[in-house]
Amino acid sequence: MTLNRRHFLKAAGAGLALANIPTIHAATPPRVIVIGGGFAGATVAKYIRLWSNFSVDVTLVDPKPQHTSCVLSNLILNNQLPFSKLKLPYSSLESKYGVNVVRDKAVEINGPGNQIRLKNGGWRSYDRLVIATGIGFKKPNGLDSKLSPHAWIAGGQTKLLARQLAGMNAESTFVMTIPKSPYRCPPGPYERACLVANMFVQRGLTSVDNPRVMVLDANSGIQAERETFSHAFNSIYRNVVQYVPDAEVHNVDSSSGMVYTTAGTFQGDILNVIPQNRATSFVRRQGLTDGDNWAPVDPTTYESVLSEFQGVHIIGDSQNTNQPKSAHMANAQAKICTDAILRSLSGIPTDTIERLRNITTNSACYSPITKDQASWLTANYFYNPDLEMMQLRHVGEAEEWNHSNYKQMFVWASNLFTDCFG
Amino acid sequence: MSCHSPRITMLLFVCSILPLQSTHADDLRVNRLLASQCAQCHGTDGYSVAGIEPLAGESAKDLIEDLRDMRKEDKPENIMDHQAMGYTEDQIRRIAAYYSTIPEPGGSRSNESEEKEEKEKEEEESEYEKHED
Repeated sequence: MTLNRRHFLKAAGAGLALANIPTIHAATPPRVIVIGGGFAGATVAKYIRLWSNFSVDVTLVDPKPQHTSCVLSNLILNNQLPFSKLKLPYSSLESKYGVNVVRDKAVEINGPGNQIRLKNGGWRSYDRLVIATGIGFKKPNGLDSKLSPHAWIAGGQTKLLARQLAGMNAESTFVMTIPKSPYRCPPGPYERACLVANMFVQRGLTSVDNPRVMVLDANSGIQAERETFSHAFNSIYRNVVQYVPDAEVHNVDSSSGMVYTTAGTFQGDILNVIPQNRATSFVRRQGLTDGDNWAPVDPTTYESVLSEFQGVHIIGDSQNTNQPKSAHMANAQAKICTDAILRSLSGIPTDTIERLRNITTNSACYSPITKDQASWLTANYFYNPDLEMMQLRHVGEAEEWNHSNYKQMFVWASNLFTDCFG
Repeated sequence: MSCHSPRITMLLFVCSILPLQSTHADDLRVNRLLASQCAQCHGTDGYSVAGIEPLAGESAKDLIEDLRDMRKEDKPENIMDHQAMGYTEDQIRRIAAYYSTIPEPGGSRSNESEEKEEKEKEEEESEYEKHED
Protein backbone atom coordinates (compact mmCIF):
# COMPACT_ATOMS: atom_id res chain seq x y z
CA MET A 1 0.00 0.00 0.00
CA THR A 2 1.34 3.41 -0.93
CA LEU A 3 0.70 6.03 1.68
CA ASN A 4 0.67 9.61 0.50
CA ARG A 5 0.92 12.81 2.52
CA ARG A 6 -2.85 13.31 2.64
CA HIS A 7 -3.25 9.79 3.97
CA PHE A 8 -0.80 10.46 6.81
CA LEU A 9 -2.43 13.79 7.64
CA LYS A 10 -5.78 12.10 7.99
CA ALA A 11 -4.35 9.15 9.92
CA ALA A 12 -2.42 11.35 12.30
CA GLY A 13 -5.31 13.76 12.83
CA ALA A 14 -2.89 16.65 12.44
CA GLY A 15 -4.21 19.90 13.82
CA LEU A 16 -5.23 23.11 12.09
CA ALA A 17 -2.23 24.93 13.50
CA LEU A 18 -0.04 22.87 11.18
CA ALA A 19 -1.37 24.64 8.14
CA ASN A 20 -0.10 28.03 9.31
CA ILE A 21 3.53 26.97 9.71
CA PRO A 22 5.45 26.83 6.41
CA THR A 23 6.75 23.35 5.66
CA ILE A 24 9.83 22.27 3.77
CA HIS A 25 9.64 22.13 -0.03
CA ALA A 26 12.64 20.39 -1.55
CA ALA A 27 13.15 18.29 -4.67
CA THR A 28 14.71 15.59 -2.51
CA PRO A 29 13.26 15.29 0.99
CA PRO A 30 15.79 16.01 3.74
CA ARG A 31 16.91 12.85 5.53
CA VAL A 32 16.98 12.39 9.29
CA ILE A 33 18.33 9.17 10.80
CA VAL A 34 17.42 8.34 14.40
CA ILE A 35 19.55 5.80 16.24
CA GLY A 36 17.67 4.09 19.08
CA GLY A 37 13.92 3.48 19.40
CA GLY A 38 13.25 4.17 23.07
CA PHE A 39 11.08 7.00 24.38
CA ALA A 40 13.41 9.72 23.04
CA GLY A 41 14.03 8.17 19.63
CA ALA A 42 10.41 7.20 18.96
CA THR A 43 9.19 10.69 19.90
CA VAL A 44 11.67 12.54 17.70
CA ALA A 45 10.92 10.23 14.75
CA LYS A 46 7.16 10.73 15.13
CA TYR A 47 7.26 14.49 15.70
CA ILE A 48 9.66 15.21 12.83
CA ARG A 49 7.21 13.50 10.48
CA LEU A 50 4.21 15.20 12.05
CA TRP A 51 5.59 18.74 12.31
CA SER A 52 7.25 18.65 8.89
CA ASN A 53 3.89 17.82 7.36
CA PHE A 54 5.50 14.51 6.32
CA SER A 55 8.04 16.29 4.12
CA VAL A 56 11.16 14.98 5.89
CA ASP A 57 12.34 11.41 5.39
CA VAL A 58 12.85 9.75 8.79
CA THR A 59 14.60 6.41 9.40
CA LEU A 60 14.57 4.88 12.88
CA VAL A 61 17.30 2.32 13.52
CA ASP A 62 17.06 -0.15 16.39
CA PRO A 63 18.33 -3.73 16.73
CA LYS A 64 15.13 -4.81 18.48
CA PRO A 65 11.71 -5.27 16.84
CA GLN A 66 10.01 -3.24 19.61
CA HIS A 67 10.87 -1.25 22.69
CA THR A 68 10.54 -2.59 26.23
CA SER A 69 9.51 0.16 28.63
CA CYS A 70 11.43 0.81 31.82
CA VAL A 71 8.40 2.84 32.91
CA LEU A 72 6.17 0.53 35.03
CA SER A 73 8.83 -2.23 34.87
CA ASN A 74 9.18 -2.45 38.68
CA LEU A 75 5.61 -3.82 38.62
CA ILE A 76 6.93 -6.97 36.92
CA LEU A 77 9.01 -7.66 40.02
CA ASN A 78 6.01 -7.80 42.35
CA ASN A 79 3.83 -9.48 39.74
CA GLN A 80 1.33 -6.61 39.43
CA LEU A 81 1.71 -6.28 35.66
CA PRO A 82 2.30 -8.84 32.88
CA PHE A 83 5.61 -8.36 31.05
CA SER A 84 3.76 -8.01 27.74
CA LYS A 85 2.40 -4.62 28.91
CA LEU A 86 5.92 -3.17 28.68
CA LYS A 87 6.19 -3.94 24.97
CA LEU A 88 5.88 -0.89 22.75
CA PRO A 89 5.83 -1.76 19.05
CA TYR A 90 6.95 0.53 16.23
CA SER A 91 3.92 -0.31 14.07
CA SER A 92 2.18 3.07 14.54
CA LEU A 93 5.35 4.97 13.74
CA GLU A 94 5.46 3.07 10.46
CA SER A 95 1.81 2.95 9.47
CA LYS A 96 0.51 6.21 10.89
CA TYR A 97 3.52 8.48 10.46
CA GLY A 98 5.53 6.84 7.67
CA VAL A 99 8.75 6.38 9.66
CA ASN A 100 11.12 3.89 8.01
CA VAL A 101 11.96 1.46 10.80
CA VAL A 102 15.17 -0.46 10.16
CA ARG A 103 16.24 -3.36 12.37
CA ASP A 104 19.97 -2.77 12.53
CA LYS A 105 22.69 -1.40 14.74
CA ALA A 106 24.78 1.76 14.33
CA VAL A 107 28.52 1.15 14.49
CA GLU A 108 30.33 4.27 13.25
CA ILE A 109 29.71 7.96 12.52
CA ASN A 110 31.54 10.00 9.91
CA GLY A 111 30.66 13.44 11.32
CA PRO A 112 32.30 15.66 8.67
CA GLY A 113 30.87 13.46 5.89
CA ASN A 114 27.33 13.33 7.38
CA GLN A 115 27.27 9.56 7.19
CA ILE A 116 26.58 6.72 9.57
CA ARG A 117 27.54 3.07 9.14
CA LEU A 118 25.04 0.40 10.12
CA LYS A 119 26.17 -3.12 10.97
CA ASN A 120 24.19 -4.73 8.16
CA GLY A 121 23.08 -1.75 6.08
CA GLY A 122 26.48 -0.13 5.43
CA TRP A 123 27.02 3.62 5.11
CA ARG A 124 23.98 5.90 4.97
CA SER A 125 23.92 9.65 4.41
CA TYR A 126 21.92 12.01 6.57
CA ASP A 127 21.15 15.70 6.78
CA ARG A 128 20.63 15.38 10.53
CA LEU A 129 21.47 12.50 12.86
CA VAL A 130 19.74 11.95 16.22
CA ILE A 131 21.27 9.57 18.74
CA ALA A 132 18.92 8.26 21.42
CA THR A 133 20.61 5.10 22.64
CA GLY A 134 19.84 5.36 26.38
CA ILE A 135 22.31 4.42 29.10
CA GLY A 136 25.42 2.30 29.41
CA PHE A 137 27.06 0.97 32.58
CA LYS A 138 30.44 1.07 34.22
CA LYS A 139 30.37 -2.26 36.01
CA PRO A 140 32.36 -2.83 39.21
CA ASN A 141 34.89 -5.67 39.30
CA GLY A 142 33.38 -9.05 40.04
CA LEU A 143 29.85 -8.20 38.98
CA ASP A 144 28.13 -10.87 36.91
CA SER A 145 24.76 -9.42 35.86
CA LYS A 146 23.53 -12.90 34.95
CA LEU A 147 23.71 -13.73 38.65
CA SER A 148 23.17 -10.23 40.10
CA PRO A 149 20.80 -8.46 37.70
CA HIS A 150 20.67 -4.69 37.42
CA ALA A 151 17.21 -4.75 35.82
CA TRP A 152 17.83 -1.09 34.93
CA ILE A 153 17.27 -1.65 31.22
CA ALA A 154 13.95 -3.45 30.96
CA GLY A 155 13.92 -6.89 29.35
CA GLY A 156 15.56 -10.19 30.27
CA GLN A 157 17.19 -8.57 33.31
CA THR A 158 13.76 -7.59 34.66
CA LYS A 159 12.47 -11.14 34.21
CA LEU A 160 15.58 -12.56 35.91
CA LEU A 161 15.19 -10.35 38.98
CA ALA A 162 11.46 -11.16 39.10
CA ARG A 163 12.26 -14.90 39.12
CA GLN A 164 14.81 -14.45 41.91
CA LEU A 165 12.32 -12.45 44.00
CA ALA A 166 9.59 -15.04 43.45
CA GLY A 167 11.87 -17.63 45.05
CA MET A 168 12.70 -15.69 48.23
CA ASN A 169 11.93 -17.26 51.61
CA ALA A 170 11.98 -16.52 55.35
CA GLU A 171 15.79 -16.44 55.37
CA SER A 172 16.30 -14.30 52.25
CA THR A 173 17.99 -10.92 52.20
CA PHE A 174 17.73 -8.53 49.27
CA VAL A 175 20.66 -6.18 48.72
CA MET A 176 20.40 -3.40 46.16
CA THR A 177 22.95 -0.76 45.25
CA ILE A 178 22.16 2.71 43.90
CA PRO A 179 24.77 4.44 41.71
CA LYS A 180 25.95 8.01 42.09
CA SER A 181 23.78 10.61 40.36
CA PRO A 182 23.11 11.24 37.57
CA TYR A 183 21.49 7.95 36.74
CA ARG A 184 18.33 6.89 34.88
CA CYS A 185 15.04 7.46 36.77
CA PRO A 186 16.03 9.21 40.04
CA PRO A 187 13.11 7.83 42.14
CA GLY A 188 13.30 4.35 40.56
CA PRO A 189 15.67 2.59 42.98
CA TYR A 190 13.77 3.79 46.07
CA GLU A 191 10.49 2.79 44.46
CA ARG A 192 11.95 -0.67 43.83
CA ALA A 193 13.14 -0.93 47.44
CA CYS A 194 9.60 -0.12 48.60
CA LEU A 195 8.00 -2.72 46.32
CA VAL A 196 10.42 -5.46 47.37
CA ALA A 197 9.89 -4.51 51.04
CA ASN A 198 6.17 -4.71 50.40
CA MET A 199 6.62 -8.26 49.05
CA PHE A 200 8.36 -9.26 52.29
CA VAL A 201 5.53 -7.69 54.31
CA GLN A 202 2.84 -9.36 52.18
CA ARG A 203 4.48 -12.76 52.66
CA GLY A 204 4.93 -12.25 56.40
CA LEU A 205 8.72 -12.45 56.11
CA THR A 206 9.60 -9.51 58.39
CA SER A 207 11.57 -9.45 61.60
CA VAL A 208 12.36 -6.50 63.88
CA ASP A 209 16.03 -7.40 64.32
CA ASN A 210 16.82 -8.48 60.81
CA PRO A 211 16.11 -6.02 57.97
CA ARG A 212 15.48 -7.96 54.76
CA VAL A 213 16.01 -5.14 52.28
CA MET A 214 19.40 -3.43 52.34
CA VAL A 215 19.50 -0.23 50.26
CA LEU A 216 23.12 0.78 49.63
CA ASP A 217 23.18 4.28 48.18
CA ALA A 218 26.38 5.72 46.68
CA ASN A 219 24.83 9.16 47.22
CA SER A 220 24.71 10.93 50.57
CA GLY A 221 20.90 10.95 50.62
CA ILE A 222 17.71 9.98 48.80
CA GLN A 223 17.82 11.54 45.31
CA ALA A 224 14.12 12.09 44.59
CA GLU A 225 10.85 12.28 46.55
CA ARG A 226 12.95 12.45 49.70
CA GLU A 227 9.95 13.11 51.98
CA THR A 228 7.95 10.25 50.56
CA PHE A 229 10.64 7.58 50.56
CA SER A 230 12.11 8.56 53.96
CA HIS A 231 8.62 8.36 55.37
CA ALA A 232 8.00 4.95 53.79
CA PHE A 233 11.34 3.53 54.96
CA ASN A 234 10.73 4.83 58.50
CA SER A 235 7.08 3.89 58.84
CA ILE A 236 5.49 1.01 56.94
CA TYR A 237 8.87 -0.56 56.10
CA ARG A 238 10.78 0.27 59.29
CA ASN A 239 11.22 -3.43 60.11
CA VAL A 240 12.16 -4.34 56.58
CA VAL A 241 14.38 -1.67 55.00
CA GLN A 242 17.80 -0.53 56.11
CA TYR A 243 18.91 2.54 54.16
CA VAL A 244 22.69 3.09 54.02
CA PRO A 245 23.93 6.38 52.45
CA ASP A 246 27.46 7.01 51.15
CA ALA A 247 27.86 3.37 50.18
CA GLU A 248 29.81 3.44 46.94
CA VAL A 249 30.47 0.00 45.50
CA HIS A 250 34.14 -0.99 45.14
CA ASN A 251 33.62 -4.50 43.91
CA VAL A 252 31.19 -7.37 43.98
CA ASP A 253 31.39 -11.14 44.26
CA SER A 254 28.24 -12.27 42.52
CA SER A 255 28.78 -15.97 43.26
CA SER A 256 28.98 -15.48 47.05
CA GLY A 257 26.56 -12.52 47.15
CA MET A 258 29.11 -10.12 48.63
CA VAL A 259 29.11 -6.36 47.99
CA TYR A 260 32.11 -4.32 49.14
CA THR A 261 31.34 -0.61 49.61
CA THR A 262 32.73 2.54 51.22
CA ALA A 263 30.18 1.98 54.02
CA GLY A 264 31.16 -1.64 54.70
CA THR A 265 30.66 -5.14 53.34
CA PHE A 266 27.21 -6.61 52.85
CA GLN A 267 25.93 -10.03 51.84
CA GLY A 268 22.64 -10.83 50.16
CA ASP A 269 20.80 -13.84 48.79
CA ILE A 270 19.51 -11.67 45.99
CA LEU A 271 21.87 -8.97 44.72
CA ASN A 272 20.45 -6.14 42.63
CA VAL A 273 23.51 -4.14 41.62
CA ILE A 274 22.70 -1.08 39.53
CA PRO A 275 26.13 -0.05 38.22
CA GLN A 276 27.32 3.49 37.60
CA ASN A 277 25.38 4.90 34.62
CA ARG A 278 27.03 6.63 31.66
CA ALA A 279 26.40 7.24 27.97
CA THR A 280 26.17 4.08 25.86
CA SER A 281 29.38 2.55 24.51
CA PHE A 282 28.39 3.65 20.98
CA VAL A 283 28.21 7.30 22.07
CA ARG A 284 31.48 7.04 24.00
CA ARG A 285 33.35 5.20 21.23
CA GLN A 286 32.44 7.86 18.69
CA GLY A 287 34.04 10.53 20.88
CA LEU A 288 30.75 12.31 21.63
CA THR A 289 31.28 12.35 25.42
CA ASP A 290 33.29 14.52 27.76
CA GLY A 291 35.24 13.60 30.89
CA ASP A 292 31.99 12.86 32.75
CA ASN A 293 31.07 10.13 30.27
CA TRP A 294 27.96 11.98 29.10
CA ALA A 295 27.49 13.78 25.76
CA PRO A 296 27.65 17.59 26.05
CA VAL A 297 24.90 19.25 23.96
CA ASP A 298 23.26 22.64 23.46
CA PRO A 299 19.96 22.34 25.40
CA THR A 300 18.14 24.53 22.86
CA THR A 301 18.83 22.11 20.00
CA TYR A 302 20.40 18.99 21.58
CA GLU A 303 23.12 19.25 18.94
CA SER A 304 26.56 18.11 20.07
CA VAL A 305 28.75 21.04 21.13
CA LEU A 306 31.75 19.30 19.59
CA SER A 307 32.67 20.97 16.29
CA GLU A 308 33.34 17.70 14.43
CA PHE A 309 29.79 16.56 15.13
CA GLN A 310 27.75 19.40 13.64
CA GLY A 311 24.34 18.07 12.69
CA VAL A 312 24.53 15.29 15.28
CA HIS A 313 21.96 15.55 18.08
CA ILE A 314 21.91 13.50 21.28
CA ILE A 315 18.67 13.26 23.28
CA GLY A 316 17.49 11.24 26.27
CA ASP A 317 19.69 9.56 28.82
CA SER A 318 23.10 9.77 27.08
CA GLN A 319 23.23 13.59 26.98
CA ASN A 320 24.18 15.91 29.77
CA THR A 321 21.93 18.93 30.38
CA ASN A 322 21.35 18.96 34.10
CA GLN A 323 17.86 17.46 33.80
CA PRO A 324 16.57 14.17 35.22
CA LYS A 325 16.99 11.12 33.03
CA SER A 326 13.42 9.91 32.56
CA ALA A 327 11.09 8.79 29.78
CA HIS A 328 8.86 11.84 30.23
CA MET A 329 11.90 14.12 30.01
CA ALA A 330 13.30 12.22 27.01
CA ASN A 331 10.00 12.93 25.24
CA ALA A 332 10.26 16.63 26.18
CA GLN A 333 13.80 16.88 24.82
CA ALA A 334 12.82 15.09 21.62
CA LYS A 335 10.30 17.85 20.87
CA ILE A 336 12.86 20.63 21.36
CA CYS A 337 15.24 18.69 19.13
CA THR A 338 12.50 18.24 16.51
CA ASP A 339 11.75 21.96 16.42
CA ALA A 340 15.48 22.76 16.13
CA ILE A 341 16.05 20.26 13.31
CA LEU A 342 13.06 21.48 11.30
CA ARG A 343 14.17 25.09 11.71
CA SER A 344 17.68 24.23 10.60
CA LEU A 345 16.46 22.27 7.58
CA SER A 346 14.30 25.29 6.63
CA GLY A 347 17.09 27.83 7.19
CA ILE A 348 15.24 29.40 10.13
CA PRO A 349 17.32 30.38 13.17
CA THR A 350 17.02 28.32 16.33
CA ASP A 351 18.12 31.16 18.58
CA THR A 352 15.39 33.76 18.17
CA ILE A 353 14.67 35.55 21.45
CA GLU A 354 11.10 34.28 21.54
CA ARG A 355 12.26 30.69 21.15
CA LEU A 356 15.05 30.92 23.72
CA ARG A 357 12.62 32.44 26.23
CA ASN A 358 10.27 29.53 25.77
CA ILE A 359 12.45 26.43 25.88
CA THR A 360 10.77 24.41 28.62
CA THR A 361 10.78 20.79 29.65
CA ASN A 362 8.97 18.96 32.39
CA SER A 363 8.96 15.60 34.03
CA ALA A 364 6.24 13.79 35.88
CA CYS A 365 6.22 10.29 37.23
CA TYR A 366 4.37 8.07 39.62
CA SER A 367 6.11 5.84 42.14
CA PRO A 368 4.31 2.81 43.52
CA ILE A 369 5.03 2.52 47.25
CA THR A 370 2.92 -0.56 47.96
CA LYS A 371 1.28 -3.08 45.64
CA ASP A 372 -1.68 -0.77 45.09
CA GLN A 373 -0.68 2.70 46.26
CA ALA A 374 1.56 5.29 44.65
CA SER A 375 3.03 8.76 45.07
CA TRP A 376 4.12 11.18 42.34
CA LEU A 377 6.79 13.70 41.49
CA THR A 378 6.75 16.60 39.06
CA ALA A 379 9.40 19.10 37.92
CA ASN A 380 9.58 21.97 35.42
CA TYR A 381 12.73 23.25 33.77
CA PHE A 382 13.39 26.33 31.65
CA TYR A 383 16.30 27.55 29.55
CA ASN A 384 18.21 30.46 31.05
CA PRO A 385 19.73 32.37 28.08
CA ASP A 386 22.17 34.21 30.35
CA LEU A 387 23.63 31.04 31.80
CA GLU A 388 22.99 29.08 28.59
CA MET A 389 21.69 26.12 30.56
CA MET A 390 18.48 24.49 31.77
CA GLN A 391 17.36 25.41 35.28
CA LEU A 392 14.77 24.01 37.64
CA ARG A 393 11.77 26.32 37.91
CA HIS A 394 9.46 24.31 40.14
CA VAL A 395 9.30 20.91 41.75
CA GLY A 396 6.46 19.21 43.60
CA GLU A 397 5.79 15.84 45.17
CA ALA A 398 2.66 14.10 46.42
CA GLU A 399 1.76 14.69 50.05
CA GLU A 400 0.84 11.05 50.49
CA TRP A 401 0.76 7.77 48.65
CA ASN A 402 -2.69 6.38 47.90
CA HIS A 403 -4.72 4.14 45.61
CA SER A 404 -6.02 7.01 43.52
CA ASN A 405 -2.44 7.90 42.51
CA TYR A 406 -1.80 4.24 41.73
CA LYS A 407 -4.73 4.15 39.30
CA GLN A 408 -3.70 7.49 37.78
CA MET A 409 -0.21 6.09 37.15
CA PHE A 410 -1.58 3.78 34.43
CA VAL A 411 -3.52 6.64 32.84
CA TRP A 412 -0.37 8.79 32.73
CA ALA A 413 1.69 5.91 31.32
CA SER A 414 -0.90 5.21 28.66
CA ASN A 415 -0.86 8.81 27.40
CA LEU A 416 2.93 9.00 27.61
CA PHE A 417 3.38 5.74 25.69
CA THR A 418 0.98 6.95 23.00
CA ASP A 419 2.60 10.38 22.67
CA CYS A 420 5.91 8.61 22.00
CA PHE A 421 4.92 5.50 20.05
CA GLY A 422 1.28 5.89 19.01
CA MET B 1 17.42 38.21 31.34
CA SER B 2 20.19 40.62 30.41
CA CYS B 3 19.90 42.33 27.05
CA HIS B 4 23.46 43.59 27.07
CA SER B 5 25.33 40.54 25.85
CA PRO B 6 26.62 40.75 22.23
CA ARG B 7 24.68 37.58 21.38
CA ILE B 8 21.36 39.06 22.44
CA THR B 9 22.09 42.36 20.69
CA MET B 10 22.77 40.46 17.50
CA LEU B 11 19.56 38.49 17.93
CA LEU B 12 17.56 41.68 18.29
CA PHE B 13 19.06 42.88 15.03
CA VAL B 14 18.26 39.63 13.25
CA CYS B 15 14.69 39.68 14.56
CA SER B 16 14.18 43.25 13.45
CA ILE B 17 15.03 42.48 9.83
CA LEU B 18 12.85 39.38 9.60
CA PRO B 19 9.62 39.93 7.65
CA LEU B 20 6.37 39.92 9.60
CA GLN B 21 5.32 36.64 8.04
CA SER B 22 8.36 34.88 9.47
CA THR B 23 7.85 36.42 12.91
CA HIS B 24 4.28 35.16 12.92
CA ALA B 25 5.45 31.70 11.84
CA ASP B 26 8.12 31.84 14.55
CA ASP B 27 5.43 32.60 17.12
CA LEU B 28 3.39 29.63 15.93
CA ARG B 29 6.40 27.35 16.15
CA VAL B 30 7.16 28.61 19.67
CA ASN B 31 3.54 28.10 20.73
CA ARG B 32 3.47 24.62 19.23
CA LEU B 33 6.70 23.64 20.99
CA LEU B 34 5.48 24.96 24.35
CA ALA B 35 2.10 23.27 23.97
CA SER B 36 3.69 19.96 22.99
CA GLN B 37 5.16 19.74 26.49
CA CYS B 38 1.63 19.10 27.78
CA ALA B 39 1.15 16.16 25.41
CA GLN B 40 2.97 13.58 27.52
CA CYS B 41 -0.11 13.53 29.78
CA HIS B 42 -2.80 15.21 27.65
CA GLY B 43 -2.06 13.38 24.39
CA THR B 44 -0.49 14.40 21.08
CA ASP B 45 -2.05 17.73 20.05
CA GLY B 46 -4.21 17.46 23.15
CA TYR B 47 -5.99 14.28 22.04
CA SER B 48 -5.82 12.32 25.29
CA VAL B 49 -6.19 8.56 24.90
CA ALA B 50 -6.92 7.75 28.55
CA GLY B 51 -8.44 9.37 31.60
CA ILE B 52 -6.77 12.79 31.42
CA GLU B 53 -8.64 15.82 30.12
CA PRO B 54 -8.11 16.45 26.38
CA LEU B 55 -6.90 19.96 25.55
CA ALA B 56 -7.68 19.95 21.82
CA GLY B 57 -10.34 22.53 21.00
CA GLU B 58 -10.45 23.99 24.52
CA SER B 59 -11.26 27.69 24.47
CA ALA B 60 -8.20 29.82 25.15
CA LYS B 61 -10.17 31.76 27.75
CA ASP B 62 -11.02 28.65 29.77
CA LEU B 63 -7.51 27.24 29.60
CA ILE B 64 -5.93 30.52 30.69
CA GLU B 65 -8.39 30.82 33.58
CA ASP B 66 -7.82 27.24 34.69
CA LEU B 67 -4.04 27.54 34.59
CA ARG B 68 -4.11 30.87 36.41
CA ASP B 69 -6.32 29.40 39.13
CA MET B 70 -3.95 26.44 39.52
CA ARG B 71 -0.94 28.73 39.83
CA LYS B 72 -2.67 30.71 42.57
CA GLU B 73 -3.17 27.66 44.78
CA ASP B 74 -1.72 28.44 48.23
CA LYS B 75 -1.41 24.77 48.85
CA PRO B 76 -0.85 22.95 45.57
CA GLU B 77 -2.33 19.49 45.85
CA ASN B 78 -2.18 17.80 42.51
CA ILE B 79 0.29 17.47 39.67
CA MET B 80 -1.35 20.18 37.56
CA ASP B 81 -1.24 22.72 40.41
CA HIS B 82 2.50 22.20 40.42
CA GLN B 83 2.89 22.01 36.64
CA ALA B 84 1.03 25.33 36.18
CA MET B 85 3.64 26.98 38.41
CA GLY B 86 6.27 26.02 35.88
CA TYR B 87 5.01 28.51 33.28
CA THR B 88 4.91 32.29 32.93
CA GLU B 89 1.73 34.24 32.08
CA ASP B 90 2.96 34.66 28.52
CA GLN B 91 3.67 30.96 28.17
CA ILE B 92 0.21 30.07 29.49
CA ARG B 93 -1.33 32.40 26.90
CA ARG B 94 0.74 30.78 24.14
CA ILE B 95 -0.19 27.24 25.19
CA ALA B 96 -3.86 28.17 25.35
CA ALA B 97 -3.67 29.90 21.95
CA TYR B 98 -2.27 26.73 20.39
CA TYR B 99 -4.82 24.27 21.77
CA SER B 100 -7.73 26.56 20.90
CA THR B 101 -6.82 26.15 17.20
CA ILE B 102 -6.85 22.34 17.28
CA PRO B 103 -10.20 20.72 16.38
CA GLU B 104 -11.81 19.26 19.46
CA PRO B 105 -11.96 15.46 19.74
CA GLY B 106 -14.76 13.83 17.81
CA GLY B 107 -15.13 16.33 14.98
CA SER B 108 -14.77 19.89 13.78
CA ARG B 109 -16.49 22.76 15.49
CA SER B 110 -19.30 24.61 13.80
CA ASN B 111 -18.70 28.09 12.38
CA GLU B 112 -20.99 29.49 15.01
CA SER B 113 -19.03 28.07 17.91
CA GLU B 114 -15.76 29.13 16.29
CA GLU B 115 -17.03 32.70 15.94
CA LYS B 116 -18.22 32.71 19.53
CA GLU B 117 -14.87 31.44 20.70
CA GLU B 118 -13.00 33.97 18.57
CA LYS B 119 -15.00 36.75 20.22
CA GLU B 120 -14.27 35.31 23.65
CA LYS B 121 -10.61 35.09 22.72
CA GLU B 122 -10.50 38.75 21.72
CA GLU B 123 -12.16 39.77 24.96
CA GLU B 124 -9.77 37.59 26.89
CA GLU B 125 -6.76 39.07 25.14
CA SER B 126 -7.80 42.62 25.96
CA GLU B 127 -8.40 41.56 29.56
CA TYR B 128 -4.99 40.00 29.56
CA GLU B 129 -3.39 43.20 28.32
CA LYS B 130 -5.06 45.10 31.17
CA HIS B 131 -3.85 42.49 33.60
CA GLU B 132 -0.29 42.85 32.35
CA ASP B 133 -0.41 46.65 32.75
